[in-house]
Amino acid sequence: MRLLNGANLMVGNFPKEFHLQLDILNSAHPMLLASTPRESKCGVGKRVRGWPHEPPKYNTLFLPCRKVPTSRINLKGDCLSGRGMSWMQAILLARGLSRGWGGICGAALTGAPFSQVLPQAMRGFHCSTATHNSEMSLVPRPPEPRQKPIKALAPHEELFRQGPGGERDKASFVRAVQNFGQHNVRKRGHVDFIYLALRKMREYGVERDLTVYNLLLDIFPKEVFRPRNVIQRIFLHYPRQQECGIAVLEQMENHGVMPNKETEFLLIQIFGRKSYPMLKYLRMRLWLTRFKNINPFPVPRDLPQDPVDLAKLGLRHIEPDLSARITVYQMPFSNELTSTEDPVQPHIVGIQSPDQQAALAHHDPARPIFVEGPFSLWLRSKCVYYHILRADLLPPEEREVEEIPEEWNLYYPMHLDLDYARSSWDDYEFDIDEVEEGPIFAMCIAGAHDQVTLAKWIQGLQETNPALAQIPVIFRLAGSTGELLTSSGLEEPTPPLREGQEEEGHLQRQQQGQS
Amino acid sequence: MSGCVLFLRRAAAARACRALVALTAGRRPLRTSPPSPSFAKELFLGKIEKKGVFPFPEVSQEELNEINQFVGPVEKFFAEEVDSRKIDREGRIPDDTLEKLKSLGLFGMQIPEEYGGLGLSNTMYARLGEIISLDGSITVTLAAHQAIGLKGILLVGNEEQKAKYLPRLASGEHIAAFCLTEPSSGSDAASIRTRATLSEDKKHYVLNGSKVWITNGGLASIFTVFAKTEVVDSDGSVKDKMTAFIVERDFGGVTNGKPEDKLGIRGSNTCEVHFENTKVPIENVLGEVGGGFKVAMNILNSGRFSMGSVVAGILKKLIELTAEYACTRKQFNKNLSEFGLIQEKFALMAQKAYVMESMTYLTAGMLDQPEFPDCSIEAAMVKVFSSESAWQCVSEALQILGGSGYMKDYPYERMLRDARILLIFEGTNEILRMFIALTGMQHAGRILTARIHELKRGNVSTIVETVGRRLRDSLRRTVDLGLTGDLGAVHPSLAESASKLEENVYYFGRTVETLLLRFGKSMVEEQLAMKRVANVLINLYGMTAVLSRASRAIRVGLRNHDHEVLLASMFCTEAYVQNLLSLSQLDKYAPENLDEHIKKVSRQILEKRAYLCAHPLESTC
Repeated sequence: MRLLNGANLMVGNFPKEFHLQLDILNSAHPMLLASTPRESKCGVGKRVRGWPHEPPKYNTLFLPCRKVPTSRINLKGDCLSGRGMSWMQAILLARGLSRGWGGICGAALTGAPFSQVLPQAMRGFHCSTATHNSEMSLVPRPPEPRQKPIKALAPHEELFRQGPGGERDKASFVRAVQNFGQHNVRKRGHVDFIYLALRKMREYGVERDLTVYNLLLDIFPKEVFRPRNVIQRIFLHYPRQQECGIAVLEQMENHGVMPNKETEFLLIQIFGRKSYPMLKYLRMRLWLTRFKNINPFPVPRDLPQDPVDLAKLGLRHIEPDLSARITVYQMPFSNELTSTEDPVQPHIVGIQSPDQQAALAHHDPARPIFVEGPFSLWLRSKCVYYHILRADLLPPEEREVEEIPEEWNLYYPMHLDLDYARSSWDDYEFDIDEVEEGPIFAMCIAGAHDQVTLAKWIQGLQETNPALAQIPVIFRLAGSTGELLTSSGLEEPTPPLREGQEEEGHLQRQQQGQS
Repeated sequence: MSGCVLFLRRAAAARACRALVALTAGRRPLRTSPPSPSFAKELFLGKIEKKGVFPFPEVSQEELNEINQFVGPVEKFFAEEVDSRKIDREGRIPDDTLEKLKSLGLFGMQIPEEYGGLGLSNTMYARLGEIISLDGSITVTLAAHQAIGLKGILLVGNEEQKAKYLPRLASGEHIAAFCLTEPSSGSDAASIRTRATLSEDKKHYVLNGSKVWITNGGLASIFTVFAKTEVVDSDGSVKDKMTAFIVERDFGGVTNGKPEDKLGIRGSNTCEVHFENTKVPIENVLGEVGGGFKVAMNILNSGRFSMGSVVAGILKKLIELTAEYACTRKQFNKNLSEFGLIQEKFALMAQKAYVMESMTYLTAGMLDQPEFPDCSIEAAMVKVFSSESAWQCVSEALQILGGSGYMKDYPYERMLRDARILLIFEGTNEILRMFIALTGMQHAGRILTARIHELKRGNVSTIVETVGRRLRDSLRRTVDLGLTGDLGAVHPSLAESASKLEENVYYFGRTVETLLLRFGKSMVEEQLAMKRVANVLINLYGMTAVLSRASRAIRVGLRNHDHEVLLASMFCTEAYVQNLLSLSQLDKYAPENLDEHIKKVSRQILEKRAYLCAHPLESTC
């Protein structure tokens, strides 16, 4: 939908374009996703439960009322009625269709989101939408076999069928694509094949390979879909093919693949300069570059598999002080090789900066410090949990006023003996109400989130922070993080395990003195 | 040689008494208000204090003769017997060279005659410094010995201490070292870790700790050591305060590390010194117990001015060497000396040498006057100016020689390495700029406080007066501070330069007032503004010095005084333009002022601790 509006406004003034483009880049789908089930609850779509059983057809249009070119209604088989669709989508659709842009809209709305959202909706709605983004695509999914076992394989599936011992890599993918061209001189069914190939890309690990995308685009017959007259140019010419082209670009965008000149050349050859795929291409050229490095705290694309390395990465990510030192207090130790009585030893990786060390050394031993957590930290699609060692803020009356020693600097006066300070017209301090927080002394990421493990961390910390031995440590471990814990592709989805046993909110006093 | 020394000592005796006066005066703590504020401090108020500056301080003819007789043998020794290249290569000064230096009396130049030293005045000390400068390592060794190492005994030592230590220090039998810097403490006195604890019988202190980068640390047998001691305050609380001690190597427990391998001044001995349970008798406390901070400050402040003459000596020598080369080396059938870009370098070197010479001898003259005011700002300015000029000029001299200058066959690369330390030791130039600016600001602030209070309170007449003055200023009225005119202190041929100085001084005073009004005591945090204030002040002091000296040269009729006038007016014009820029940068919202940008850039860099820009070859595609 947004894509469509954006297309409409391409020549419009900049700010609008900007917002629309932003939407496109954020790919807007989470919002649609979020809205769909929620609204269905309030009556409009009473068919929520019915969704999984309906054949989620792609490339089909919901037809609320408006007139639509017939060629677009039944692109593939039976037409679905709009009963499963929320009112919002209906309105959006209607508006789009009334302008004659139904084709793309249909693809954008009915294809990906629906087939995508269904399994999620079954599991229950989660507040985090971040993870869905990467899953989103315009590529229609084939029906889930569970739900519709009778459904035959998608056409051209056999091209991707592996011989025994066949490896799934770029070479075999390219071979499959080339086979399609050889078997099919007239390129019949190339749209289906491209959709299929797009879906398969991840399996073959080529979803970030620009050349493969160009190869896919190259399947399109050239010059055929270029509009040749005004009428064709006004209306969507060969919409299904254009949608397919957009889907390719969309998948590139979702994987952060920047199209190159070759892509542009292919698109111009296939769809012509004034086409929607071309528009999409231009926008990607414009915005992908601008947003590529927008994150000031970049996370590497390929996260380390080793939990210790991942923990190190996570700790570096949240620790602003570059002189902080990472210590591995305990290496992970699995019990596969040893006898079963040996408990699994989780990894404990901690970080502490020199300033934190100094602050801990000066901490008043009469005041307890707290181990708190687990808090979640998302690194791309992985979630790690960290704990902090912190203290409460000193009450204002107990804070030491840092005074300037009288005999401090051997060379120049550190303070002037004047009884007036900065004048108001040179005082740029804004009146900010700052919420002060207590000091954080250290952080750690551990393989388990129970008190035993964390006590080991505290013991390890004592080696470098002797003062810690005198300070009472209280464990405040929450039972649940209140965060989304499950998501497909998570390596470490294990929610804190034993926190249920430790009553949340109950302060447990432990470790008076040496532990 | 010894006969010569005897003569020199006799010659110096005449001024021993006067030098003593100067030294006693030096004992005064820095912060008490002196009877007449120094020249530099008055500049902060927009005034030129002519007393002591105009006319240029002179020495009597007989003194001059004495100096010249003194200089001769030393110059001869340095020219003929000191092999700087060998010293640099081997990393040590040969023993026979050290012996000769001792026999020349150069280890006790400023020690009074009665203790066996030469008792030189500051002016004569500066003059000798020019000769000694021909070898960087020797200069540093001698300076560490007497400018800081034994200076404490001279400044605050009591009679017994002086009688006990000075004679042997003057003869060079004992070499002194100054032990202040620690691994954790550069200029931060609060973080000194070396500790002296009073023994149970209260007869001695037990000293423990380590000092780093101690010049002469391996040679010295007398150390001025600063350590923390517990002092009971007037209100009964126990505090850690710094105390200075005279420590002999024979006290035991004094060890030193191996000499450091340095970039320049490689012949000087720099090493760590460790004190382990060294027993120091309480008689060896220098000054008062707990008064070490002031002692250290006084020592550091007193020694700086001499760097000016040292560098001037180097530059004069450099000009001779490079001029020789430039006039004989032919390229394109022309001597190098005929190329404008080469000529420019000689003018630069001459100008810098002239200015720093003028500044040094002006300062030395002020210091030698009886009842002299505290000249620590002036001394610091001389140090900053001369060290930076040294680096610049040596580099230019090396440039004149092109590739040859880079080779070890020529002395230039060694001079360049040696010159680099000048910007660092005796207080880095950054720190000294803060010292110059803040000390002056403190002075101006005290005097202007009343006015500023009235302004802040909104006193109508003061405001009207201020606004009126600003209006008049904006109309660019000519400033007359009495330097020019019929009875002016400056010779008419320099009148133009003098009026530039006057204008700068006047507007500098206005700027200082504005800065005080704007920042008050938070001025300490405005380091970039303070740097500019210091730069302006250094220029102003240089302008004053050259004007004073050139005027005197014309009036006395010195040889080549027209050359001096040329150099003086050149420097004044350059400094004037620089000052105008700095002063305009000190205005609020000045477009020339990039401080906010500078701060932002460096903040971003320091956050990441790296250069932030993407590589020019990188792309997002």
